[in-house]
Amino acid sequence: MCELRKRGLVTAVIVSEPFLKLGKTQARVLGVPDLPLLLIPHPLGGLSLEQVEGRAAHAIPQVLELIRGLSK
Amino acid sequence: MTNLADLLEAPGASLECDDDFDAVNALMRDRGWSDGLPIVPPTARRVENMLAWCDRPWNEPVAKVAPRWGEATPLRLAANAVMAGCRPEYFPVLVAAIEAMCEEPFNLYGVQATTHLCAPLVIVNGPVAQELAINSGHNAFGPGWQANATIGRAIRLALVNIGGAIPTLGDMSTFGAPSKYSYLAAENEAASPWEPLHVERGLPKEASAVTVIGAECPHNVNDHESITAEGILTTIAGTMLSTGANDVYYESQPLVVMGPEHAKTVAGGGYSKAAAKRFLQEHAHLPLGRFSNENIERRVRVTWKEKYAAAGMDAPVYMVQRPEDILIAVIGGAGKHSAVIWTFGATRAVTRALKLRDGRYARSVADFRIK
Repeated sequence: MCELRKRGLVTAVIVSEPFLKLGKTQARVLGVPDLPLLLIPHPLGGLSLEQVEGRAAHAIPQVLELIRGLSK
Repeated sequence: MTNLADLLEAPGASLECDDDFDAVNALMRDRGWSDGLPIVPPTARRVENMLAWCDRPWNEPVAKVAPRWGEATPLRLAANAVMAGCRPEYFPVLVAAIEAMCEEPFNLYGVQATTHLCAPLVIVNGPVAQELAINSGHNAFGPGWQANATIGRAIRLALVNIGGAIPTLGDMSTFGAPSKYSYLAAENEAASPWEPLHVERGLPKEASAVTVIGAECPHNVNDHESITAEGILTTIAGTMLSTGANDVYYESQPLVVMGPEHAKTVAGGGYSKAAAKRFLQEHAHLPLGRFSNENIERRVRVTWKEKYAAAGMDAPVYMVQRPEDILIAVIGGAGKHSAVIWTFGATRAVTRALKLRDGRYARSVADFRIK
């Protein structure tokens, strides 16, 4: 993801809350501290299909906002 | 190799503190440069004594340590070795172990950052194990031996201080494990009826080597009754049955540690290591129906699609996919015990010889001393 971001593509990493700090730290050490991290509720394991769709519903507006923000 | 005073001039390479044990420890604790236990203050003199056992440039990285991808230079490793309480002659083993776990197949990023409770386990083979009095007998995975305790601890300190394996920042283990403090033992080659681990993995017997495994803690196999090879192996295979081990879902390499008494019985029954592995792989399986419905549908049928997509509930699910993926080492003292050591799963064992800068195998750690 960090490599894609460096190449100028619209890039984001989706993380659940407990992994936010790990994501921020990794983005920093890999040289893209401004890598967008899209937050969705934890957990990711042991979800029903409906719950997976719920996680996607959380992420989609953030993805759209990211793309709109960059195209302005 | 290099002038330490010059290296310590670099920004951030050193800091000043009152010459007081408690003050140094308070500083280390506040900065997070610790495993929680008191450390030995890494003074310039102690670090230089450590580096006297390193035949490479002290500021040239030997590896990059995930997940921070920090550069493991001999200088940084030496500071961590001092902090852990290592004797200087242990240093070549520490360097080899760090190099081995930073090789790509080991997947140190995964081992460090995962929610799983694994830690790098180091098995030491060859003449250096005896030279450094690395325990391979009674309590080999436990306390009581300076080499086991402090080389293992130095690895952990390096993984934290150079690699950034800081809980919630770079180490997401749900609950960690006591093996994250220190996890290093030697193989009991003298008590083994088989070729040592490093020889099996392609090195000459006279070489010394480390094998790193992204491992769980040992799980005991008690068998005081079996007097045949098949009996012992059946009990070990039975102990390998698990529906919750990562290994079941990956093409992984679990380690079977045989106590010398069990190993003698198995070898006495005519089993080579390879034959013992075949027996264990063939006998360690559970019927599909023993897994939870969700794991059957979402894991087993998906991960091993060709075999289980339409398999019935009696279909055997093998704990290990290939016999050669089971690692066997003989460790321990007297007693009718062995141990099964599961792994992170998404990791491969890496064996690395202790080699001098010119590529020759070290015959002794003294070979690394600066002339």
